[in-house]
Amino acid sequence: MFQVYLPIAEISVNLVLMLGLGAAVGFLSGMFGVGGGFLLTPFLMFSGIPPSIAVATGANQIVATSVSGALAQWRRNNIDFHMGALLIVGGVAGALIGVILLKMLREAGQAGLIISLTYVVLLGTVGLLMLVESIGAMRRTRAGRPASGRKPGQHNWIHRLPLKLRFPRSRLYISAIPPLVIGWVVGLLTAFLGVGGGFIMVPAMIYLLRMPTNIVIGTSIFQIIFVTAVVSVLHATFNQTLDVVLALILAAGGVMGGQFGVKAGQKLRGEHLRALLAVMVLAVAIRLLFDLVLKPAELYSISPLLAGV
Amino acid sequence: MMRRALLLATLLGFMPLVAAAAQAASPTPPKEELQAELSTREISIQSNFTGIEILVYGSIDFSQTKAPDPGNYDVIAIIRAPSQPLVARRKERVAGIWVNSRGEVYPAVPGFYAALSTRPFRAITSDETLKTLGVGIVNLDFGRPATEDLREAQYRSAVIRLKQKQQLFQEDDDGVSFVGRSLFRATVALPVNVPTGRYTADVYLFRDGELIGKNLSTLEVNKAGFERTIYLLAFNQPFAYGLLAVLVAVLTGLAGWFAFRRE
Repeated sequence: MFQVYLPIAEISVNLVLMLGLGAAVGFLSGMFGVGGGFLLTPFLMFSGIPPSIAVATGANQIVATSVSGALAQWRRNNIDFHMGALLIVGGVAGALIGVILLKMLREAGQAGLIISLTYVVLLGTVGLLMLVESIGAMRRTRAGRPASGRKPGQHNWIHRLPLKLRFPRSRLYISAIPPLVIGWVVGLLTAFLGVGGGFIMVPAMIYLLRMPTNIVIGTSIFQIIFVTAVVSVLHATFNQTLDVVLALILAAGGVMGGQFGVKAGQKLRGEHLRALLAVMVLAVAIRLLFDLVLKPAELYSISPLLAGV
Repeated sequence: MMRRALLLATLLGFMPLVAAAAQAASPTPPKEELQAELSTREISIQSNFTGIEILVYGSIDFSQTKAPDPGNYDVIAIIRAPSQPLVARRKERVAGIWVNSRGEVYPAVPGFYAALSTRPFRAITSDETLKTLGVGIVNLDFGRPATEDLREAQYRSAVIRLKQKQQLFQEDDDGVSFVGRSLFRATVALPVNVPTGRYTADVYLFRDGELIGKNLSTLEVNKAGFERTIYLLAFNQPFAYGLLAVLVAVLTGLAGWFAFRRE
């Protein structure tokens, strides 16, 4: 009844299930203030969407959710456009490499494996770090000290690099190299994993670039729109793996779910939220790891021939 | 001499009549003719497509079966989609994780293949005939010669197993049934993941193991409407398609922002 045929994935999915998936991820991203791509892409893979299509379509869905988010941030004047532009330049370069890399892996039949492995390493690391940090914060709160353990900003090696530029909105005068590198890494991850990359970019901007926290989120979302848009176009062009129907369903669910997530998030304490998110991130990583380690019931797989093997 | 010659002439003159009389007593029946048709010649895959069942039906004109019991005739129907190259890979354990191996290429594997018949194929006719007609999954060659190699056999059977699991390979030796003396019917379920293209539907009629009639026709399976537009755009104009996808996403995001911004 509610089955929808996806023209590119060439499978039929349940409309309600996919809307629900989009809404659930939107809810979580609204609640935790993250993009949610790193949850959406694995969930799509779990529900039977081929990994390469999950990645490209996930990236496209993030365009939609980040447009909503960026507009809200822009209204609050929380975007550093100079910094954003630099991150985008790095991001586009990284995206190009990521898309070509994924194309090569797909032709060799290894895309699913490498995507899963990268997710396991990345989600495992980020999840563990977050869990440790948030438990520490909870302990400190219980002991009566302030939850935030961050020391005031200091100059580090980043500030001694050449090619210095002025970023008036962030009130920074730093080298152009770190933003370009951060953008590049995030662009690569976007193309390769179908994530926005906020979970890498936000800490990098806070701890490495020492940008003001309120501007970090807005600038990150601003950058994500453009890099995910470029990744969408590149995947569509080189890999034909972007399913616009699936992306639209997920985006519609995501935009709706996001609104409720924001409200739910306001009811929880920051460190509790982070602990919850960390547990979820770790759960996804463990599930992906299990799929890689456990002996599959069917050892063989078939796929259309993409290029000379 | 004269009398003998006369007798001979008389006999010769009578011969056609005798033959005709004999024919009247047990006439050589007209040759059986096979008629077959599909319930549909065109299948459109649209957004509500979840698979479709097609009916293959037909009749044997001048059937010599006296009673509607099986035995005299056998029918085999083969529905086949265009062949495509395919890679089969086996997962192997490398450093604790399961990794795809290099794999084997099969240059021509039918995208869909269904063989239906009134009885088990080998009971109908010789293995040779089955092989020539491509009846039965075991008789498909996938575009590369079969070898006795064990590895090859494992890969081949894996391809077949996986295709069967996806319902893209089907075999039913009880799939064709007779209705009365000369009518027959068979249904084939095309699953949601059927490939597009021009399918062939071949119906063969056998009597006592001998092929006495065939009917070859085609069937078009195509994406239609919106799905077709999207699919063609994605593969023919991928850059424009990518831009369109981004535009759709941006509009969705804007719509979401406008819808919820009052708060």
